[in-house]
Amino acid sequence: MTRKSASVDKVCGNCRCHNTYEYPYNVFCFTKFADRENPVVSIFDGCDKWENKLQDCFCVEDALKKQGKKKK
Amino acid sequence: MEREDLLRTPVTHMQIKSDMTVNQLVQQFRNSGSFAAGRLASACDVFENMVRDQECTIFLALAGAMVPAGLRLTIADLIRRRMIDALVSTGANMVHDLIEALGGHHYQGHWLVDDYLLYKYHIYRIYDIFVPEEDFVKADEKLIKMFDEIAGENEGKKLSTNELMHEIGKRLKDPNSIVRSAYEANVPIFLPAMRDSEFAFIYSIHLERTKKEKAVTIDAFKEVPELLDITRQSERLGMVVLGGGVPRNSVQHAALMSGKGLDYAVVITTDRPEPGGLSGSTIEETVSWGKVKHNANKIMVINDALMAFPIVIAAVLERLGEGFHRKGNP
Repeated sequence: MTRKSASVDKVCGNCRCHNTYEYPYNVFCFTKFADRENPVVSIFDGCDKWENKLQDCFCVEDALKKQGKKKK
Repeated sequence: MEREDLLRTPVTHMQIKSDMTVNQLVQQFRNSGSFAAGRLASACDVFENMVRDQECTIFLALAGAMVPAGLRLTIADLIRRRMIDALVSTGANMVHDLIEALGGHHYQGHWLVDDYLLYKYHIYRIYDIFVPEEDFVKADEKLIKMFDEIAGENEGKKLSTNELMHEIGKRLKDPNSIVRSAYEANVPIFLPAMRDSEFAFIYSIHLERTKKEKAVTIDAFKEVPELLDITRQSERLGMVVLGGGVPRNSVQHAALMSGKGLDYAVVITTDRPEPGGLSGSTIEETVSWGKVKHNANKIMVINDALMAFPIVIAAVLERLGEGFHRKGNP
């Protein structure tokens, strides 16, 4: 099974300092946490600490899909 | 030795009945006396002897993913009953206990799976167990905050892994947790390879959040005299090993350093002695070092500990009966 992320502008956080927190909507930024800032970041709003490259995972795609389902 | 000495006990064929108890099944294993069945029956006898010996301090050495796989409550119960007097574990097993204590779960998965698909869904695999990444992250978040708090309360003090586990246990509410039950029963938990686990990541973020001089300080060697105090104060020593590795040798080495050696040993592992690693080393090999007494009550079971250990526990609990009480040592 292969799928591509829906948006190249959004990264889910499978990078060095981000991990999923409430799949698929929120990720946890350990850099912010280490700096004692609010570490929970929405994948839609982005995070200034993100390594801005497309991560190979399903978070954004799943979040968009679930958001679409919610609207209906 | 005469020829007839070698032919004294015939194999009695196992008779399996629909209403058998676990101990009755183990007695049938004893009647066979062969292969893993015979060894498992002997392991029940050795563990029963260990538990009935009120002057014996019982160590559980825990390695391999026993807690994620479902032994968490079994171990917590044994601690409460003081059928374990000291736990020596990998850091990872305690991390997985804490993941559940802090709201996370482990899931039944499969060993035949596309691991890259799991990666893309943020799911970690331990053979056929799945752990969601967010359960790790939420536990990390809470544990890092606990580390911050513990550091604040213990400024200038160096903690052993046992003291750190005690502090964490104090802060938990989950009665099914190993760390919590050890705190309540005053049973020490030693993590001789603690940094080889998620605790390393937890510590590194705690260090970033806290000024270095204010961070919690763990002294890896502080547990050595703590372990030695236990072995020296104990009349007799017993160990149950699930897996092996660093936890097994930490117990054996403490027994050696106290000049005593172990009186009882049950080792359940699938590892083999030929490659020379400690986990697969036979108990006889351990006798050569003086870590286990030559006349110790001992048995090694080559089996999956996740299956063998609950059978041993169930059979021995049945033999002991409801009224049995163990005071705990040392």
